Amino acid sequence: MRKRERSAAEDIVERADASLLEIIDHVLNKGVMLQGEVILGVAGVDLVYLRLNALLCAADRLLPPRNGK
Amino acid sequence: MIGVYAIAQGTPRGLSGARGEPLSVIARDDLELVCGAAPPELSAEALRAHEAAVRRIADAAAACLPARFGSAAPDEASLVQAVAARERELAEALRLVHGREQMTLRVYGTLPAVRAEGGPGTRYLQERLRAKALPELEPLRARLSDLVRAERVEPHAEPGLIASVYHLIDRGRSAQYLRAVESAAIEPLRVSATGPWPAWSFVPELFP
Repeated sequence: MRKRERSAAEDIVERADASLLEIIDHVLNKGVMLQGEVILGVAGVDLVYLRLNALLCAADRLLPPRNGK
Repeated sequence: MIGVYAIAQGTPRGLSGARGEPLSVIARDDLELVCGAAPPELSAEALRAHEAAVRRIADAAAACLPARFGSAAPDEASLVQAVAARERELAEALRLVHGREQMTLRVYGTLPAVRAEGGPGTRYLQERLRAKALPELEPLRARLSDLVRAERVEPHAEPGLIASVYHLIDRGRSAQYLRAVESAAIEPLRVSATGPWPAWSFVPELFP
């Protein structure tokens, strides 16, 4: 991975527990978007978009471990 | 600058926003714009607080279309103008979510490769189509058919995560929904279910 300064957005997404990841996906990726240019001005939102799906796909973060697998 | 939490119907007075501020309701024909303080900087706490505020509105109002975190307008007039052009779509969406709430499914696993005539482009399109239709979920859909009022499917490109499926159910039926999901056999795929949520995934795109 590239070395660079971590953003607030990366911190949020990488340290998020499963319930926060679910909240992020609903609150940032869904919902009525009003005044598109304003939302893009909220610092770091675009970075969260980029990283979120990859993290949601880490199934073990969301599902309890299964016995015998 | 004012922040927007939701477009709703039947919003009671006296609700508070993400930072405890009193919410104001701008009524326009059949729509209510539920507004509060301008959105704060992005943080985990701010996201949780926005979600909680929208949840309070959704629980109390007759119908609620949540606004994305960060939604804002310079003033009331420009906000009203922004929704005016899409009033019909919004009214239709409000009818759909009236008295309902959302459940969210993440579908994990790997779908077998599609055998398609033609080149990789055709195969890609067919794979996307199948990830959207997800016939593998039919046993689950059959168990949920009494509960689900509408479905949206969002295919994902990440390996392992096939799709997110969003279901609209009548309020108060989430426990039944979760039991039905647990009892459905859709091997080799796996699903996780969360909810109930406000109807985040059943809103029209105002700025496509």
